[in-house]
Amino acid sequence: MSETEFGPAPPTGAPILSVIDVSKSFGSTHALRGVALDLHAGEVHSLVGENGAGKSTLIKVMTGLYRPDAGHVALDGHAVELRTPAIAQSLGIACIYQEPLVFPDLSVSENIFMGHTGRGRLVHWRDMDERAGEILRQLEVDIDPRAVASQLTVAGQQAVEIAKAMSRDVRVLIMDEPTAALSAHEVRRLFRQVARLAESGVAVLFVSHRLDEVFEISDRITVFRDGQHISTKPAAEVTEVSLIRDMVGRELSDFFRRVPHEPGEVALSVEGLSRAGAFENISFDVRRGEVLGFAGLVGSGRTEVAEALFGVRRADSGTIRTDGEVLQISSPREAMEHGIAYVSEDRRRLGLSLPQSVAANITLPGLRRFVSRWWLIDRNAERRAAEVYRERLQIRTTSLSTPVGVLSGGNQQKVMLAKWLDLKPSVLIFDEPTRGIDVGAKADVHELIGELAEGGVAVILISSDLPEVLAMSDRVLVMREGRQMGIFADADLDQERIMMAAVGVE
Amino acid sequence: MIAEQDLPAAPSRSRRSLLEPERVKGLTLVAVVLATVFIFSVVVDDYLSARFVSRLLIAISITALVAAGETLVIITRNIDLSVGSMVGVAAYLTAEMLAENQGLSAPIAVLVAVGIGTALGLVNGVLVAVARLPSIIATLGTLSIYRSLLTNHAGGKTISTGSLPAWLIDLPRSTLFRLGRYDVRTMFAVTLGIAVVLHLALQYTRGGRHLYALGSNPEAARQAGLNERRIQITAFAGCGALAGLAGFLYVGRFGTINVTAGSGLELAAIAAAVVGGVSTLGGSGTIMGAFLGAVLIGVLDQSLVRVEQISEFWRDAILGALIFIAVFLDVTVGRRLKERARRRAIDEAREVEHG
Repeated sequence: MSETEFGPAPPTGAPILSVIDVSKSFGSTHALRGVALDLHAGEVHSLVGENGAGKSTLIKVMTGLYRPDAGHVALDGHAVELRTPAIAQSLGIACIYQEPLVFPDLSVSENIFMGHTGRGRLVHWRDMDERAGEILRQLEVDIDPRAVASQLTVAGQQAVEIAKAMSRDVRVLIMDEPTAALSAHEVRRLFRQVARLAESGVAVLFVSHRLDEVFEISDRITVFRDGQHISTKPAAEVTEVSLIRDMVGRELSDFFRRVPHEPGEVALSVEGLSRAGAFENISFDVRRGEVLGFAGLVGSGRTEVAEALFGVRRADSGTIRTDGEVLQISSPREAMEHGIAYVSEDRRRLGLSLPQSVAANITLPGLRRFVSRWWLIDRNAERRAAEVYRERLQIRTTSLSTPVGVLSGGNQQKVMLAKWLDLKPSVLIFDEPTRGIDVGAKADVHELIGELAEGGVAVILISSDLPEVLAMSDRVLVMREGRQMGIFADADLDQERIMMAAVGVE
Repeated sequence: MIAEQDLPAAPSRSRRSLLEPERVKGLTLVAVVLATVFIFSVVVDDYLSARFVSRLLIAISITALVAAGETLVIITRNIDLSVGSMVGVAAYLTAEMLAENQGLSAPIAVLVAVGIGTALGLVNGVLVAVARLPSIIATLGTLSIYRSLLTNHAGGKTISTGSLPAWLIDLPRSTLFRLGRYDVRTMFAVTLGIAVVLHLALQYTRGGRHLYALGSNPEAARQAGLNERRIQITAFAGCGALAGLAGFLYVGRFGTINVTAGSGLELAAIAAAVVGGVSTLGGSGTIMGAFLGAVLIGVLDQSLVRVEQISEFWRDAILGALIFIAVFLDVTVGRRLKERARRRAIDEAREVEHG
């Protein structure tokens, strides 16, 4: 893999876009308090901050989804009123989200040109496909413009979003956690695309929780905390420690490192597990009190193995034993009955019921414990149970009856963890538990995993964050293209060796 | 790892294989229709008589028009339950006007029927797009409101064949051309023509693609600057217009019109659309699919009467079962095809990743 240089280019001249003293409140919550931000042509500007720092709100102000209570946005020095997303886009402001906002049923070229297909009432398919193909080639991606968007990978859909922005002659490109669902290779390609856009004079605002990426790609870094602007500095003048200090306003002890201890008996034993087209011949044991990491690139089959263990999709062959007993798991319900729980990576789709309350979400899997006489739910018992988890996991919510959908990503993740902890599982599978959540929430989750293991739970930790896997795990199983590349322990627990196994370099 | 700069200059692989879900759906439906006709022709003596085919084509015309309108709405991730009532109101009011003014010409009568349907459809559209009522609730309301208004207006009066102009009574027998021993009825030909034009319009006009975009991902559609309200209102108004036209054909087909005209058509229309592969989740499906769905339902409905062993009470149950089967196949087979395509995309991505 060739290293690409992203040398810092000091901003010159007047900014393309300026955010000037913008404030925005929701009820009594001050999401933004008079923040300012300048974006210059050709710069990659990172915006970092914990969840709730006001990043999402600022993005929504800049893309025309929210209107500020005070202050304004200026383009080329002139105040503009971004009343709708359409207006923001027509002025050249585009945004790419963590979960690509595509039309799943439409073709790639339609996705790119929807809303600005050109003059006239007719759609010129061939012309449109050709222009789309041209843009995609500039992005170095091999995607058929006629393919249906739902058939693309997340990285592919994101490339389509970037192509969409390019087709609109974008001047300001906002990227909100764009790398969260990408493999290392796809991140490299994305960064090359961003660099090229910046070279052509686009101002890029890059929002990410992955600090290493922020350092790699940024010319300047701005930190928000609690809706306030804390600092804006050239990337070269910022260190990881100073950045984290700005973000959280307190010193964070280095990356949370779990203290391993002597594991107990084997809780879960898997032998020769296979499912055609997904994974083959996976064998491992997890002991009580042990954390077994699952490393590998996105799409290597780790989630599929977890889904087989949890009964979401059945394996074709192989055996699964808990406490020595062979299991036939064909539904999540059966998995739960045997003490296996799975915290899904896709919390919005699989993990949580967003319109329902925090309490209802937490108690859902074990709801039968809260049924009182007359088959009614004992609301008070439900509340008390939920309250315990709110304290233990420090879930920040105004009340337990708040709908989960309005919480921040990190807090949603904590609700989801509480939900599965309430089942008191003996085997707990975490799938990307810290993806897209802030540093503070991440540390809380790491601490919780450590506590659980200490309490005798067998933990499987699937994560694409290699330092996280290494810091948390006793042993690490590496997968590549559905195959088990080995289980690493002790002295072999080394970033380079694991990455080499994951990409298949001997 | 291969160098990415070495990628082919043009995307060479065509992913539009024969197994493309839309195409599979269409071909399957044609096969099912042909198989159904074949089975009946074996079971029933003189099944494909000229008279039967003519009656069948007229029956299909009305369902197909309403189903085409319903499709416009379903593609935008909404539903219109009031189509049967709109057909009834348009049919009755048009017939009433013709009974009172025998001299009115056919184009005026068609315009009146379509105009009435469009107006009623606009009301639905405004309720959904502006008042923000869920379409299932809004149109469930107008289903009964339109029917009640009609009942009040008519006061139980029936308009009979005798009071209608002769050209209208002859309309079902009007033939465009003959195909062997079969008459191709004007009503059917016009319906087919409208379906083809509408089908193409949905594929090749911006307005048509906007319907799909909104139904496929409303949030993305808003972000792309599409006018959500206008798209929704257009879909409902279009649905009303087609229901109005179907109302006109209804007058011609039955001659005798009372206040229950068209009731129950919503079931047939939604069934035709769903059987024809229009996804109730919005964003996918075609007018020709809905047309084929209407053909299948029409064939079954008209043919089962002629099988003596099957009581007519079973006909509705068979229709219901057909909806289940269609959706079941759509969900299972469709998902499998999509899964295959997705896996292929992942494999290709991996090839690039690892060379």
